[in-house]
Amino acid sequence: MRCCKGLLIAALLVPAGFVHGETDVPSGAASLSNPYTGDANAAVAGEKLFASMNCDGCHGGGALGFTAPSLADGRWRFGGDDGAVFHSIFHGRPHGMPAYGAILPADAVWMLVTYVTTRPVPREVPTAAWQATP
Amino acid sequence: MFGPREFEAGIPVSTRHAITRSLHSAAALGLALLAGAACAADDGQWTLPGKDLAATRYSALDQINADNVGALRPVWSFSTGVLGGHEGQPLVANDTLYVVTPWPNVLYAFDLKTEDYPLRFKYRPDANRAAVGVACCDAVNRGAAFAQGRIVYNLLDGRTVAIDANTGKELWKTTVADLARGETITMAPLVVGERVLVGPSGGEFGIYGWFIGLDLATGAIAWRARNIGPDDALLARPGTFKAFYDRGENLGQASWAGDTWQRGGAPVWGWLSYDPELDLVYYGTGNPGPYNADQRIGDNKWTSSILARRPGDGSLVWAYQFTPADNWDYDANAENILVDLEIGGRERKALVHFDKNGFAYTLDRRTGEVLVAEPYVHLNWAKGLDRKTGRPVVNEAKLTGKSRGPVKDICPSLEGGKSPASPAAYSARTRLFYVPTVNLCMDWQSEDAAYIPGTPFVSATVPYHPGAGGYLGAFIAWDAATGRKVWEVREKFPLWSGGLATAGDVAFYGTLDGWFKAVDARDGKPLWKFKVGSGVVGAPISYRGPDGKQYIAVYSGIGGDWALIAGDIIAADPADVRPTNDFAPDLARYTSQGGMVWVFAL
Repeated sequence: MRCCKGLLIAALLVPAGFVHGETDVPSGAASLSNPYTGDANAAVAGEKLFASMNCDGCHGGGALGFTAPSLADGRWRFGGDDGAVFHSIFHGRPHGMPAYGAILPADAVWMLVTYVTTRPVPREVPTAAWQATP
Repeated sequence: MFGPREFEAGIPVSTRHAITRSLHSAAALGLALLAGAACAADDGQWTLPGKDLAATRYSALDQINADNVGALRPVWSFSTGVLGGHEGQPLVANDTLYVVTPWPNVLYAFDLKTEDYPLRFKYRPDANRAAVGVACCDAVNRGAAFAQGRIVYNLLDGRTVAIDANTGKELWKTTVADLARGETITMAPLVVGERVLVGPSGGEFGIYGWFIGLDLATGAIAWRARNIGPDDALLARPGTFKAFYDRGENLGQASWAGDTWQRGGAPVWGWLSYDPELDLVYYGTGNPGPYNADQRIGDNKWTSSILARRPGDGSLVWAYQFTPADNWDYDANAENILVDLEIGGRERKALVHFDKNGFAYTLDRRTGEVLVAEPYVHLNWAKGLDRKTGRPVVNEAKLTGKSRGPVKDICPSLEGGKSPASPAAYSARTRLFYVPTVNLCMDWQSEDAAYIPGTPFVSATVPYHPGAGGYLGAFIAWDAATGRKVWEVREKFPLWSGGLATAGDVAFYGTLDGWFKAVDARDGKPLWKFKVGSGVVGAPISYRGPDGKQYIAVYSGIGGDWALIAGDIIAADPADVRPTNDFAPDLARYTSQGGMVWVFAL
């Protein structure tokens, strides 16, 4: 069928050095701390993973939303702190978010978390601008 | 609420001759009658997705006509409680109106014999929530089929169900698709005799496409045929299968590099039709996967193709590929409308197909021979069709694939010159086809795709831009015998609704900004419109009520691809706010999600 504007799945596979199968994750997602907080390189690596692991096939190029919700609007169904986002990726969520814990090592998930949570958030809801249109 | 002056003007395209001929020649009209469908008196019901086995979407009811349709008014409406895109159409059988919603695929049955149309029953399947995330393009459903006292339809999570049409009791439920492999089901099944015919969605998930026949009585799967792969998997049996333009064995395997066919797509998410005289069921297949053509060198048969099978045992009888080595996501899932047409002085058993690739094809439905192939919208990926080989003459500058880098301005876009989700209609009176079209073009850049089962297998960045002319869609009338556009009504936004043609010489369609419209089937003159609250991506129907009156029904509820690309049309999820798109930036200003059923009458 169809996929459309903004869709991007790039060439990159899991960055070299990652080892599959590191699936031990402590419970209590919100208490998890992101080892890459503030690490711009990790965000760039996460952006590449976002494409190569087909995240943008559902969430759209730039995580702006497609068949799955926007991750760049500053709003979250299941919590937007790093630990909650980690859990969403690692364990999956209802409505079809796959569990990537069996596919990606925890390090790679944290890079995805770093990318997603550092997307620039619009200052205003985009449709609100119509109020000002003459 | 409405008035002719408010409408966009109908645009005649110098084919008065065609209209005159079709309206005033009883002999010619006889030639145009459909196999088994339009020649019979209309029973006032709408029991199959496309009205009849030929998928004409033509109602022979004529109380509502071009002279009085201006007085059409809504007489009933019902909110389905579901926000997904309301594609497809309701059914009417035995004075009951049946409605299937997008996921979670609720079936409503309304009693048309009682004032206010109260529910006779409501069937709520336990449709798996995870399916929503495995459907590429919104959690849509394109409708049900009624046969032998049963309503048969598909659940998004990969199951086919049969429901007692009188009681709502579930008679059987069969798992036919595998969510873990990226398979969902959005299409409307067709029932032919004792067979229920079903295919999967999942062209963006690297599925191994198939088509199955189930037993109507029990739900058992009688046969399963693959659309790609070796001949034995295709049920392409020696002595039975004969492609008009292709020779050789195992074409569905040999036309792929290595084992790429095993995750090569070829979904079946569009419409089915059936010729009882030839005993052939026709369906189109979708795109090859992934979008990056470098990863699947070859023709990729039989993706973006039409296949004709025997419904009894699934045998493949013929196949024709509209877009070999599809580089542009030109799924061929559009309806195949079966009509008998006079072409070149000869009556032909024809099949008419408006492909996403921008060509309107008139085929010989006995063999798959191309009789007519002309662009019905602007296209530039091909320069024409080689009539000897049946292959398009491809414009190499528009080929894609990672090795070709960014490619600019390909027309039409991957939304198609017409979406298969929005089926055309055929009028036995005017002998014209009524086609909702899309005027978008695209740029394309492919990358390598990684296959991860159950996740998207695509690899392309494809921004859209408007086609030439200052409009994004048009409702056109098409003469399939000559391959000519007869008239068109241009629209501000792409059209994504189906068409309906009636014996009152009225054609109906809806728009993405939420207007339901009627035009004169003879010349396209706008006659009436009503704002239904949300964009129309469903297909209108007509039926005769128990009171003897003619009714028109249609869904409103924007979605399908437009759930993805219309911008901020979402209000029910506070955690999903989207920027406006750049090719139709105003769309979300005029519509928002919300599913309803509307019924209109004089």
